[in-house]
Amino acid sequence: MEISAVKYTAGLDGNNINVKVTTTDNKEFWVPIEPANADYQEVLDWVESGNTIDEA
Amino acid sequence: MANHDYVIDNGTGSAVRADINSALQAITTTNSGNSAPSTVAAGMLWWDSDGNTLYIRNTANDAWVPVSQRRNIIINGACNVSQRATTTAAITAAGYHTLDRYYTTMSDSGTMTMTQTADGPPGFLNCLRYDCTTADASVAAGARMMQSYRIEGQDLQGFKKGTSSAQSFTVSFWVKSNLTGAAVVELYDHDNSRQTSKLYTISSSNTWEYKTLTFPGDTTGAFGDDNGKSLELQFYLCAGSNYTSGTRQESWAGSTNANRAAGQAWQLSSSTSNDWSITGLQLEIGENASPFEYKSFGEELALCQRYCTKIAPTTTNAGVATGFARTTTTMYAARDLPVHMRTTPTLTFSGNTDFQIQYLGSTATTTAMAASELSADTISFQATVASGLTAGQGMYLRDLDGGSSIIASAEL
Repeated sequence: MEISAVKYTAGLDGNNINVKVTTTDNKEFWVPIEPANADYQEVLDWVESGNTIDEA
Repeated sequence: MANHDYVIDNGTGSAVRADINSALQAITTTNSGNSAPSTVAAGMLWWDSDGNTLYIRNTANDAWVPVSQRRNIIINGACNVSQRATTTAAITAAGYHTLDRYYTTMSDSGTMTMTQTADGPPGFLNCLRYDCTTADASVAAGARMMQSYRIEGQDLQGFKKGTSSAQSFTVSFWVKSNLTGAAVVELYDHDNSRQTSKLYTISSSNTWEYKTLTFPGDTTGAFGDDNGKSLELQFYLCAGSNYTSGTRQESWAGSTNANRAAGQAWQLSSSTSNDWSITGLQLEIGENASPFEYKSFGEELALCQRYCTKIAPTTTNAGVATGFARTTTTMYAARDLPVHMRTTPTLTFSGNTDFQIQYLGSTATTTAMAASELSADTISFQATVASGLTAGQGMYLRDLDGGSSIIASAEL
């Protein structure tokens, strides 16, 4: 996937529970903040390459 | 532990008696030993005391076949489960596109359509098929395309990789293509960055052919005993010179890109006339390919759901989840997943307006869908409507017009 934007999603208690990922072809999906999740690993790579996750 | 050649030798009375007792001991222990009996016969049993596995000699008397044990490590080897889609066109990038568990590794390799196709060899209704729809005849050095299959380390411990008793890997499959010639199959160990490759050859175009490849065991580098991606089985379909310019490693060694696909004789992307199909994929422990291990559709689907679960009502307006209204415009809903997934899944909704909330005789079409708390066992999410809900009210979410789906993905 080619990520264009990532934004935290807050749970009922206000804490971040997952991230909403938008791809360059305008697909959206929700990725848990879980290192074993392959999509979250891609988000971490995206952040490592200089991008920032938007606040909830 | 006892083996015997089952020939009672001439000798003194006590020697013959001892020989008979030795044969009886071999029988009572099911020819147990940490290596196979040297004298064999079709139908013979052998208890592998090292691997704690019971084997039976096959009819041709040329291989040991495990008894009463799941042999095929591949899920969906018969290509019957395709939750996401049965056809995906215009593929130019990596991803899980159609058939469950089959990952396309792809960069700079033309454009492909991937389908679950009802065209298999005898014993298989379905196959996985790629059709090249836009050619890239001038393959770039760094281009590659593989049909990949990723496996958790905890499902590979029987190979005893990284130990002195490491076991061989045997891959068997049916393949068909208009292209003929040699192609590479690779085993890649992600835990230790080691790999080995072998060639298979397609002899006749557009003809199903059965292939078996045995890779040696590896005494170096154990697979992690966890839910991470440890092994990737890869069928090369395109490979640029970055992957073909070296020497193929037919024994395990540290990975060098130039060696990985050395010997690949054709490129699927070379022409829009090209196609490649596979089915009956099996990976098993040992040096011999045993007959394909068939599983029921229900078994295969449940195994696939550890990695991908698609909630897609098969009846229009069927229920998806129950919940309550948090506000006048938002419903909070949750539902169990059918199996414990590999890890907390990613959630994808088919569309914001594909669902409908039903409450006290009224309905409201959703305007937005969003995930809430997720776990490997349950998913929860919020559905938004324009207005009309009462906070605290019970309600359920249902399909609107037969096209809704929620995909939970915990793929490797």
